[in-house]
Amino acid sequence: MPSKRVGTKKPKSAARGAAATSTSSRNITARVAAITKSPLEACDSDDKLQSMLKVLRDTAEPIDVRLATLQALQAAAFSVVAFESCRGDYMATLRAVAEDADPELRQRVLGLLAREKDGFAQQKLLEGLKNPEKALVAPEKALQLLSYDVHADAYPVARAIIKNPPNPEAKREALRLLAADAASAPMFEKMLRDKDELAEIRQISASALHALQPAKMQAQAREMLLDTKEYPEIQATSLSALTNFGDAGAISADKPLMKRVTGLSGGPANKVKRTARQFLDKYDA
Amino acid sequence: MALSEPQFAALVDTSAGPDGRRQLIDLLGEDHPAYDQRGTAATVRMRGWALLALARIGLCEASLVFVLEELDTGTDPYLVAAAARALRSYPAPSAEFAPFLMRCIANIRYQDQPVSFHGYGEYALSSGSSPVRELLETLAWLGPLAIGILPDLETLRAQPGGFSKKLAVDLDHALASIRGAGQITSPASCCDLPGGLGRMLWASGRGGSEPVESIVFEDQQGESISFKDLFPGRPSIVVFFYTRCDNPLKCSLTVTKLARIQRSLESRGLIDQIGTAAITYDPGFDLPERLRLYGEGRGVRFDAQHRMLRATGGFSALRKHFRLGVNFIESLVNRHRIELFILDANGRIAAGFERIHWDESQVVDRAVEILKADVAAVSSRVPRQAASRTFGTLASLAVAFFPKCPVCWGAYLSMSGIAGIQRLRFSPALEAVLVLLMLVNVASVWRRGRATGSMLGSYLVSAGAIAIIASRFAPGWESVAVWGVWFTLAGSLWSVVNNKKAIPAHIAARLP
Repeated sequence: MPSKRVGTKKPKSAARGAAATSTSSRNITARVAAITKSPLEACDSDDKLQSMLKVLRDTAEPIDVRLATLQALQAAAFSVVAFESCRGDYMATLRAVAEDADPELRQRVLGLLAREKDGFAQQKLLEGLKNPEKALVAPEKALQLLSYDVHADAYPVARAIIKNPPNPEAKREALRLLAADAASAPMFEKMLRDKDELAEIRQISASALHALQPAKMQAQAREMLLDTKEYPEIQATSLSALTNFGDAGAISADKPLMKRVTGLSGGPANKVKRTARQFLDKYDA
Repeated sequence: MALSEPQFAALVDTSAGPDGRRQLIDLLGEDHPAYDQRGTAATVRMRGWALLALARIGLCEASLVFVLEELDTGTDPYLVAAAARALRSYPAPSAEFAPFLMRCIANIRYQDQPVSFHGYGEYALSSGSSPVRELLETLAWLGPLAIGILPDLETLRAQPGGFSKKLAVDLDHALASIRGAGQITSPASCCDLPGGLGRMLWASGRGGSEPVESIVFEDQQGESISFKDLFPGRPSIVVFFYTRCDNPLKCSLTVTKLARIQRSLESRGLIDQIGTAAITYDPGFDLPERLRLYGEGRGVRFDAQHRMLRATGGFSALRKHFRLGVNFIESLVNRHRIELFILDANGRIAAGFERIHWDESQVVDRAVEILKADVAAVSSRVPRQAASRTFGTLASLAVAFFPKCPVCWGAYLSMSGIAGIQRLRFSPALEAVLVLLMLVNVASVWRRGRATGSMLGSYLVSAGAIAIIASRFAPGWESVAVWGVWFTLAGSLWSVVNNKKAIPAHIAARLP
């Protein structure tokens, strides 16, 4: 179904424009207003619910109306108890429109299903990451949606994306996803020390390493601070890590480190200077 | 990975005959290699398909527990629906099934969604069956046997806007079947779960032969402790869990119930005599801080006998030893059962509860029985050991002072002046017996030394034995007999004192 794939998606405005030509825009606006006015009415009766689900499924309906319907149903679903009687049909409809031609509808529906840790949505998202021809959303979005469920089996795909990223955003999302993977700690440690990596990637790595192996992050932070050739952003990150999570006894007794931070507190980089002072306030009694 | 998902599905389909029942039951074990390195969603698809195959050939007693487990703790719509459907293939409907079904409705009703049983791995894209529909149909299948949950079901029916029209029809059908046109039987007339499933407890003999004593744990404070330093000494109640478990009816509830067990032990004055431990399946992620916060949030008490632990090495040996019902994708759990073990004072598995939720008082009662058995065993062992040591020591002394010839023998006896034993004849055979007894004493002290971890007594007794034997058989070494006697006495005394130390204080206190 190439027409609905990410790479060939129709611009949103064009799609809506096309829909608007077949239905008067005033009519569409009125319908959207009516739908969004009282979303909780969706479950007042089976008839109302079924008619809303029908609109959502109907590809001939204007996309604005379908999106408004989805939003109304989403709002109604927020009230778990009230929505109980509608939930089954709602979930089936979401799955049915997860491969819709409209990219925005697709993405929103996949987002709703992913939050439910839905196996169908996870399967589709993983398929898309393994085979871009089948992708329903951009890779970075797919990774973000898969990260809602730690059990989604996305780690191998995320690692593959880090090795061969389709774009920088996808690499960032893959790293964020792997921040919950204990086996990825050595990779984060390596990236953190790699001066050729972007500062943002190294900062994500620092955060992930702190979550997975706090002791290793502390050791690396010390090493990076003592490294006179390290970038100021990374030095600031290292200072923050030690200031917030460091072992007070060990740090206060670490003369080379204290000397180095004292030097940084008078250095030229403002952010480093500020964090270095916070560090010294805490440890330099 | 041995099988692809389609291959697994084909295997299940070919097993869905009378001869394949054992194979299907094996496939439901969480630790089955087929689930190794699968994602959770794949594991759900695979297990669900196996449950549906069991439903086709009919559930038996051995497979019933997997279905009841899913109804008791399951939160995945597909697995719950498959389990409810499979239960209807059990040949002997039981009133005991009804509470499982009713609890399951309460657990799953807000996550109800369509499921498809048509093909392997299919997801429903339109309305069809659902876990709640399957559960209601199974209640209808039970009919009047489900009378015990009728009030709950009627309350559910009376709730405004609770179920959709379609589900309300199913609910009415279940209610009508249970009321059974007046054929109501009393629930009290019915039976326990088949095969004793209502009491999910098995006795000792479960532990594997893997060397677990050297496994090192890190507790919630970051303190390291080995298996052999942690568990022996008192009975312990051990549960397994992991902090990233997203089923609130499994790990979170298990740890919450462990905290309740601790309170029960405290109220019964047993908190120092029975230990508790919660060990994570996910040691790479569950660092001490996470363990502590997870436990604190669920009311767990922490001290030297009550800890939350992660194995810093040797988790696979631990997994084999306890035969844990768990599998992984990389280091992440993809599926596990609930499991609790009671270890005796030697750190051996004495009892266990698995799959179905355990009752806290039942666990505590069983732990108390094990504690009493440990006390009784030590009580009977202590006099025996004392007698054995005394006898062995006396034998060593007798060897040291044994006369070398008939003349010396006569002199000893005349010195003793005991007329009654003057008739005893010198016998080299008696000397040999005494030497043998002395060596038995040496072996016994060595064994105790290894058990208690202190070898000083063994070294002293051995040195004493060597000195005594040398004094007897090596010319010119007669004078070392005195040293032999002293070493033997000192070693035996050390062995006695050290062995008392090895007995847990709470047991020693109860000894006569």
